[in-house]
Amino acid sequence: MTIHDSNGVGRRSFLKGAAAAGGMAVVTGPMLSRVALGQTRGGTLRAALLGFGVVNTLDPQKAGLNSDFFVLNTMFNSLVKFDGNMKIVPDLAESWTNPNPTTYEFKLRKGVKFHDGNEMTSDDVKFTIERVAAEATKSPNRAKFTVIDKIETPDKYAIRFVTKTPFVPLLSFFTNTTTGSQIISRKALEKMGDEAFGKAPVGTGAFKFKEWKPGEKVSFVAHKEYFEQGLPYLDAVDIPLIPEESSGITAILGGQIDIASTAPFADVPKLQQDPNITVSKMPGLNFRFIQLNIQKPPFDDVHFRRALSLATNREAIVAAALFGEGSPMWGATPPAIAWAYEKKPRELCVFNPERAKAELAKSKYKAGTEAQVITWGSSWWKRWTEIFVAQVNQVLGVKFTLDVMEPNAAFSRFRANDMQAQATGWIARVEADEYVPEIFRTDGSRNFNKYSNPEVDKLVDASRQEFDQAKRGELLKKAEDLVVEDMPMIFTMNNNAHNMWNKKVKGFVPLPSQSFGNQFPPVNLG
Amino acid sequence: MGFLWYLTIRIGGALATIAAGSFLIFLIMHLAPGDPALAVLGESATTETIAAYRAEHGLDEPVLVQFVIWAKMVLQGDLGKSIALAGKFPISDLLVTRLPNTIFIGLYGLVIALVISLIAGTAAALRQGKLVDTVATGVAVLGISMPDFWFSYVLILFFALSLDWFPSYGFTPPGESLIGAFHSGFLPALAIAAPMAGVFARILRASLVETARREYVTAARSYGFAAPFVFIHYVFRNAIIPFVTVLGLQVRYLLGGVVIIERVFGIAGMGSLIVDGAFARDYPVVQACALTFLAIVLSVNLIVDIVCALLDPRRTR
Amino acid sequence: MATLATLKGLGRELRHNRVALGGFAITSFVLVAIVIGPSFSPYDPTLMDFTAILQPPSWAHPFGTNSFGIDVLTRVLYGARNSFMISFAGVSLGAIVGTLIGMTSAYMGKLFDAVAMRLVDLLFAFPIFVLALMLMLILGFGVQNVIVAIALVYIPNFARMARNTTMVVKSEPYVQAAQVMGQPRLRIMVREILPNIAAPLFVQFTVGLAFAIIIEAGLSFIGLGVQPPTPSLGVMMADGKDYFHRGPWVLTLTGLALMFAILGLNLLGDGLRDLLDPRLRRRSAA
Repeated sequence: MTIHDSNGVGRRSFLKGAAAAGGMAVVTGPMLSRVALGQTRGGTLRAALLGFGVVNTLDPQKAGLNSDFFVLNTMFNSLVKFDGNMKIVPDLAESWTNPNPTTYEFKLRKGVKFHDGNEMTSDDVKFTIERVAAEATKSPNRAKFTVIDKIETPDKYAIRFVTKTPFVPLLSFFTNTTTGSQIISRKALEKMGDEAFGKAPVGTGAFKFKEWKPGEKVSFVAHKEYFEQGLPYLDAVDIPLIPEESSGITAILGGQIDIASTAPFADVPKLQQDPNITVSKMPGLNFRFIQLNIQKPPFDDVHFRRALSLATNREAIVAAALFGEGSPMWGATPPAIAWAYEKKPRELCVFNPERAKAELAKSKYKAGTEAQVITWGSSWWKRWTEIFVAQVNQVLGVKFTLDVMEPNAAFSRFRANDMQAQATGWIARVEADEYVPEIFRTDGSRNFNKYSNPEVDKLVDASRQEFDQAKRGELLKKAEDLVVEDMPMIFTMNNNAHNMWNKKVKGFVPLPSQSFGNQFPPVNLG
Repeated sequence: MGFLWYLTIRIGGALATIAAGSFLIFLIMHLAPGDPALAVLGESATTETIAAYRAEHGLDEPVLVQFVIWAKMVLQGDLGKSIALAGKFPISDLLVTRLPNTIFIGLYGLVIALVISLIAGTAAALRQGKLVDTVATGVAVLGISMPDFWFSYVLILFFALSLDWFPSYGFTPPGESLIGAFHSGFLPALAIAAPMAGVFARILRASLVETARREYVTAARSYGFAAPFVFIHYVFRNAIIPFVTVLGLQVRYLLGGVVIIERVFGIAGMGSLIVDGAFARDYPVVQACALTFLAIVLSVNLIVDIVCALLDPRRTR
Repeated sequence: MATLATLKGLGRELRHNRVALGGFAITSFVLVAIVIGPSFSPYDPTLMDFTAILQPPSWAHPFGTNSFGIDVLTRVLYGARNSFMISFAGVSLGAIVGTLIGMTSAYMGKLFDAVAMRLVDLLFAFPIFVLALMLMLILGFGVQNVIVAIALVYIPNFARMARNTTMVVKSEPYVQAAQVMGQPRLRIMVREILPNIAAPLFVQFTVGLAFAIIIEAGLSFIGLGVQPPTPSLGVMMADGKDYFHRGPWVLTLTGLALMFAILGLNLLGDGLRDLLDPRLRRRSAA
């Protein structure tokens, strides 16, 4: 059994943490000079993206799907990045400061070459961030950057972002994750045009684009002029798409792939016993819940909602749907964001049949109340919704039914709040602001059931201006306390993030963001 | 004259069916709830980006107008570009990579099924009532009674994971390596072939037995022709007509089966393309796939009918 | 010619046809098992027991338990009941509509025939899973829609068969006689034609039932068909596929049970075909 801990790359601990107090310079250590210590050079890594059949674009500023980012990350860097401990560390930027609460200044690494041979400068960074924020680009991530008022480039290797109001989460949005801030080559884009660039983009990453077979795989070759010396070890990376997770197991057992972006929950224990396979697991950056339409009966009654939450045995759901590969949740912020995570279970989210019935008695809705819970997706997803419905029916005597829909149709109903209840979740969201603030602030970008609580809004606003991470965490937890009292959804669980790889793959550092694609530079087939 | 007329009518009918079929699919896709914009923009999509996306792809036009635009484009030989599934790849490019894989697996399965059924069906008919017959007929019924997707898992378990004779997942396109395609395509082809072989073997056996009882065969025997000669020239040639007819009908099931098998084995073919396309609401991709499927089924049926008509001229009347 | 009277006589002949007898025995066994079997089971097919998740087959649980800790054998019996009912409903709907279209087509001829047969051709031209996929997109998932999908698959089969056989029967003297006597068309179709084309349709029905169960399972297997919490064999197999490497018994044993049931129907269909096929019957009588 091998539970991987993220000590694969020593360099990371060398670097000082990020997101420090406003105005303080963040000094980062020098690049640890990299000597190849027996790492094998060459070879092609077959890194399967499991559970996804669609990659729609490789243009970071147009991409909207997690799968888009998981593939395009291979070719790009951003200003900063998350390390295995979810700390923000330098990437294309060497260091950064906040001279005042509305300004971020980054010093760029010198001599970084794009795949097209041009040097990466502050002009490319400015172009990239302006592009993602521009209305004409139609980026799904546009809203993340609209807080930026102006971008200045004091010199070729310095860039300054001035925001309209202090906005602490911005730094996370500059990471190489799913926010569209991957730095692109301005010259390449202007030469190729949007459409061609989206099919064969030009970045600074360790691997450059080779071929894209839609719905099948995307192939990359090593970028010889990559800025991290001696990297990458591999000659090439192939990312095949495997929509069926159980087929991913078959593929890795049969040796058709070397590494996979996830592992099916059920198979984790068995894979851990396999002498040829390593499985990593850690609490993932995700949050699964039953969305309730709080505008309409029967979920417009807070007591009814609380009763449902108290009647939900989250441990049982984790055991039977995730096969134990996760943990119950009593809020929206996942445990992987430790500084904003409330460790103590909130009572309203702990299974308590007596109290559930007491809450039901206070509610205007009684046993026998009917409601339809929409679910969709793969078997395990249907499974957990099925358990939820069975539990509340059993404990409260309500008559909930399951309505399985096709994912796209379900998602459009979810967005329009055109439903009674729906099992949903957010994954691969790395920044605390993407949980409580984006989901529960009155104008939050993902507040689809129109929850509104002025107190929550105030706390969220305060958190966005608080550069001290510990204090910011307290503000977010307080806001979350209030939200849980109102119970606009049934907070349910968090699942582990997994990767699985053949033992011959060395140097892979799994990330809780369930991100994929950006960890390949130090990978070698040792 | 009669034959040419028959051919014209049949081709005309096939084209009309294709036109009606694509219109039907178009309507269904557009009437179905859901939105390609959501498939593309993901969870961070905003109302504005969704509206912009719809405008960009002409999805805000009335459905009939969209159909006319699409039909005009197709008549000019342009299948359009993917809108939600695969960047903005020209759909013809997608078909060029996907179609050969599906056809290869389909034909591979068909050939396996034919070989098995010709041997089993003929042996059973020649040894009617004997042990060979019982075993062959029994296995054939078993083949028909087996869901192909379930059989796929059994095959993977034994021949890929336990014995390691074949890859458990993935498919080497015939364009890359023909040997690789035959090797990696064997298990999926066998999974598709199993139920088909069952159907074929039974039809062939029944048809052979039936034909062997006909007067002219008895007559041929009484003339003293050698048994193998009688079997090949009188029995087999005539028994093959219903066999060919059934073969044509099976294409519809064959293509259906391929949809699931492609998913299990990870074959980049037409089946997975249309399923993914439908889920992502990539209207032009689904249209193009449906068009292709219709064209395949109809042309196979046409060919089968022509072959039958040539074998048995009475049919064209 | 197989009239209702000869259908009765089949019982006697059945005993001499080993294939039909075997099929009849298996099908009866399966039917009895799914009708009264569940009431003998000590387990509840819906009650989740999270202390007994994924237990391998044992004396207590011959087919093991699934991820909800539910006895798989009990669930197979319930699931098979649903699968049978869905297939029966689907094929029946297909048979009724198809036969109606086919007979009317053959009897009316002309424009109706041309239009109806083109529609049938259109249905026939779609690979079945594409047809089902489209249907699910617009109607959504669920039992009724699987029934409609199965019916759509079978309408063309029954329509063509009914049309072809009606064409033959139409020229028989007794139908001609009924026409001459001025009997209403509907009456002729129901009283004279239908009983005389019933035999091949009945065989088609039995065989269709078998394949329809596979269609249901296939649709549900890829997530397009019956949906939880309704148990059906396909749903159970889809779920079993999800944890195939951990608890292979759910997928494999459910599949085996399904195969057994279908085998029975296929054998029965074969036997009936031999018994009812007029050509073969004439031969064996001669």
